[in-house]
Amino acid sequence: MKLLKYNKIAILALVSVFSFSCVHEDQPTESQLDFNQPTKTVLDNWIDTNYLNPYNINVQYKWNQNTVDNSRFLFPPTIDKVKPALEIVQTIWLKSYATIGGADFVKKIAPREIVLVGGVNLNSVGTRTLGLAEGGQRVTLFETDYIDKTDRSSVTEFIHTIQHEYIHILNQHKPFDEKAWAAITPAGYTADWYNYEIPVSNEIGFITSYARLNINEDFAETAAMILISSKADYAKFLANIKSATAVAAIKAKEALVVKYFKEAYNMDFYALRDEAEKNTTAVVNN
Amino acid sequence: MKVKNIIKYLFAAFLMLQITGCNNDSTEAEPLFDKTPTDRLNAQMDELQQLLLSSPEGWKAIYFTDNTILGGYTHFFKFAADGTVEMASDFDQSMDTDEIRKSEYQIQLGSTVSLTFTTNNWIHLLSESDNYPIPGLRSKGYLGDFQFLYYGQENGEIVFKANRNKQEIRFVKATKADWDNLSKNYDMIPNVIGSSARPIFRLLETNDGTTKHQFDFSFSPITRFAEANSVEAGFSFSYELGVGYTPTGIVVNPALEVGGQKLSNFVYNDADGSFTSTGTNGVSATIKYSNKPLVLTDDYKFLLSGKGNPYKYFGYIPANLATAPTTSNYFKSLVAKVNAALPANQSIASIYMYFNTAANQTYISYNFNGGKASVIHVVKSTEDAANKTIILSHDFWAGGIAAPAYLKEIDDEFTNPKGLYVKKENFKITFSNVIYTFTSASDSGFRITTYIIN
Repeated sequence: MKLLKYNKIAILALVSVFSFSCVHEDQPTESQLDFNQPTKTVLDNWIDTNYLNPYNINVQYKWNQNTVDNSRFLFPPTIDKVKPALEIVQTIWLKSYATIGGADFVKKIAPREIVLVGGVNLNSVGTRTLGLAEGGQRVTLFETDYIDKTDRSSVTEFIHTIQHEYIHILNQHKPFDEKAWAAITPAGYTADWYNYEIPVSNEIGFITSYARLNINEDFAETAAMILISSKADYAKFLANIKSATAVAAIKAKEALVVKYFKEAYNMDFYALRDEAEKNTTAVVNN
Repeated sequence: MKVKNIIKYLFAAFLMLQITGCNNDSTEAEPLFDKTPTDRLNAQMDELQQLLLSSPEGWKAIYFTDNTILGGYTHFFKFAADGTVEMASDFDQSMDTDEIRKSEYQIQLGSTVSLTFTTNNWIHLLSESDNYPIPGLRSKGYLGDFQFLYYGQENGEIVFKANRNKQEIRFVKATKADWDNLSKNYDMIPNVIGSSARPIFRLLETNDGTTKHQFDFSFSPITRFAEANSVEAGFSFSYELGVGYTPTGIVVNPALEVGGQKLSNFVYNDADGSFTSTGTNGVSATIKYSNKPLVLTDDYKFLLSGKGNPYKYFGYIPANLATAPTTSNYFKSLVAKVNAALPANQSIASIYMYFNTAANQTYISYNFNGGKASVIHVVKSTEDAANKTIILSHDFWAGGIAAPAYLKEIDDEFTNPKGLYVKKENFKITFSNVIYTFTSASDSGFRITTYIIN
């Protein structure tokens, strides 16, 4: 028999096997996963109207273990506290940036998700973490259960967190002049910043003690602190610092912040501060 | 072999493979489940949801967040189909946690199907980083969780494990009466802490049907945690128990193992202040009060007069020792009575007990704040060898004064005719001085904590 003949038979057999084999295999049917959207509450709809639709920002207030650090003892916010906290963020942060930077500014450069945590994030060294910014995409805000809308310092502390974290996000999009910044107060940076009183840090050219962690925190703290202070309060703060070198250092940093906002985002930093100030007053008096 | 033959066999082998392929015979692994993993997860989520809704009065759980250092916190849950849950707990009376609050829950898929309380309610108080009972739990709260992994059902109970530390939590069907009686858990707390009106020694006594063992018993209400150590020589054993309050007594976790049985439910008896858990065949465990120290010591002997004992003296200093666990409430109430009887600017600064001074005297010195001179009661000491007590009896008051009326009650305790038990303690407070306690043998609940000074 010729080899060719075998080949023919073999091919025939193969074809028949292929055409019969596995015919009983299941065809894909509808997904077994549950894609039903959970029923939206009044609060969920409010979030859609005020955050998701205008700014493309998702707000997560219900507990999801994947968005929080499970080794920390945290808890989700009380439902009634969610809207007031979000209103503060909306008025003081989102609206101020929208007014000065343009309506779409925050929509383009913003965290895509805000995670709210009700409780305090206490660290083992005794400090509290007030907020986190991750990869420019997600901002986590802690202590939302404890905000008192009528108390200016409570509102300011909370807004400080988001202003600070948002500066990180801006920096993650466009870097600031790190070289120039690092040259201003190179000796003051330290990992145990929490062991220093704020006035002590002020006297060596840092706006807060936390600013001493590294230049990125320094930039975010400097910008955020100016944004949450009125022009007069900030002038008073500078006037209270005794060391002329320290004042000069803080002013040099302030100048770099102003320059960064102008060059990177074409925004008038002082106008932003005044807008935030105006909106803060509106929140507290409402 | 010729190349041609090799090809022949290869074809044959290949054909056989083709023919046997996709054959559903024994060569394929036996399927363990008749549904896909997704199907099974969906079914389980559905099952848990239905289960939670199935109890009309909801569920009760005594949540022991970590039974090696903390006790149990009772929570009630009533789930609704719209994703809300009503909750009440016995966490903190001052916060009215026994009042019903509403929040949200979800059946979530984590490492397995889980029940998560997604917005804030009472159970989250156990997971509050800046509210911790002891410094060791700083930034860890009460080690609580509110995401519970579903581990199925057992005897009508739902079995969960905490997502964080895998501690088991069991949901038991609740009744209307359970909800109504939740605030009674608070009423049980003082009974567990112990009353100053009862005898001051407390013990845990176990009975395995034939033998009884005794353990000293101490309870910390802040952590809801109890420790019991054997007092018998040559029998070294300790129990460490998380305590949960119930309207009728306590539940301990881990369960107490006595004679191979596990005892966890203790019933309170108000007549004698005891908590008893009863097993079968005579096995039981009781937390009860005692008139007598569990172990009588000979520590009193070196204070007796006329035996050539050296000069020794002891001081009770309220600033350091009023809060000592061994300072009895009855003693403190007597000090408070003395202070109340004194003018406003005066109070007891300290009480010293001197034994066998250079002048061969034994006396009690009451010292005061506010410029008042010390008052000294000189006494004689004798022993009750059988009961191992030192008896201090009246000799005279220094300066020839009459017995001060405002000191009568407290002084009568020091000089009670049954005497005082003396014990050298093995703990220290603030200073390196060794602590001695003096306890009345008269059942009055009088116990003073002192530093040995010389």
